[in-house]
Amino acid sequence: MRIYNRYILALVICASLINVVLAFWGQTDLEVYFTVNIIGYLIITLLYVYLNPKAKRALNTISFVLFGCFMVIVTFKVMEIITGR
Amino acid sequence: MALIVAGVIFAPVAYFIVDSTPLTAIGISAIIVGFTCVALANTRPAISPEACQLILKTGMENTGALLEELGLRNKAIYLPSEMREGRPQALIPLVEENDIQKVRGKIPGRLIVRYGANPGDMAIAVTTPGSINIDMLESQPEPTSDGIEAAITYILTGALDLANSVSVSMTDSIINVEVSGARLHYEDIWYYRCLGSPVASIAAAISCEALNKPVRIKEEEFSKGKSRIVLEVLP
Repeated sequence: MRIYNRYILALVICASLINVVLAFWGQTDLEVYFTVNIIGYLIITLLYVYLNPKAKRALNTISFVLFGCFMVIVTFKVMEIITGR
Repeated sequence: MALIVAGVIFAPVAYFIVDSTPLTAIGISAIIVGFTCVALANTRPAISPEACQLILKTGMENTGALLEELGLRNKAIYLPSEMREGRPQALIPLVEENDIQKVRGKIPGRLIVRYGANPGDMAIAVTTPGSINIDMLESQPEPTSDGIEAAITYILTGALDLANSVSVSMTDSIINVEVSGARLHYEDIWYYRCLGSPVASIAAAISCEALNKPVRIKEEEFSKGKSRIVLEVLP
């Protein structure tokens, strides 16, 4: 199996596991699903360091966008805690 | 692309109509995986693998014909870029059984070169697949078995997608490279007998660059989906 197929397969398995485990756990907050999925994505992308430079650049762009979304969610949560709403 | 479209349609339906958070999360995951697939698909080279194979075969057959015409059967010596004006190349001695230890200092950047003091110390210097791939490395590989393994893995599994995994062990002047799932096997042709298979050539070029010493492919065998390459580091 080629490295790209392994990477995609790892992403799909990770996302499925996260969603199934959180669903069984009774989690109903979409933000939790989203942030855990992003963390899973970032970890798997970091593990595949041997992808070619062009592919890594493309994946880094997606990672930056997802990390940005993650930071927005974290900021809102922190603001919620600080303002007590 | 279909995965992105499916995710974009499925996520709002699951959230607003079905009112299910886990199903919405699956839709979002599909969008993320879809974008990843699109990004990876766009990084594949514009030239088809068939065209690449054609170009590789043409180059190998031309070099093979030159070697055959000159009657060269000696194993090539891979030289680091420092000894070869900027790019690592392979040196094939014109005379059989020459004291290889004589390869010293900088070798001029020409096709037919003199590598020793004697009139018979002549060789032809050729560029190999390994020589070209050195440019793909982001930094100089470390002169340890781990450093060499990381560099070969990066080139063979990541950049070129030629193998599944690589392991390297080093003892004194011998480097053992084991390549699993190699997609370019050894063939008994003149080019491979002199310069080694492209996979062995890449391993030799990276090893000589890391150690900054000349390296020769001593042995190469393929069995049960694994390529075993033995490299000899020359003093």
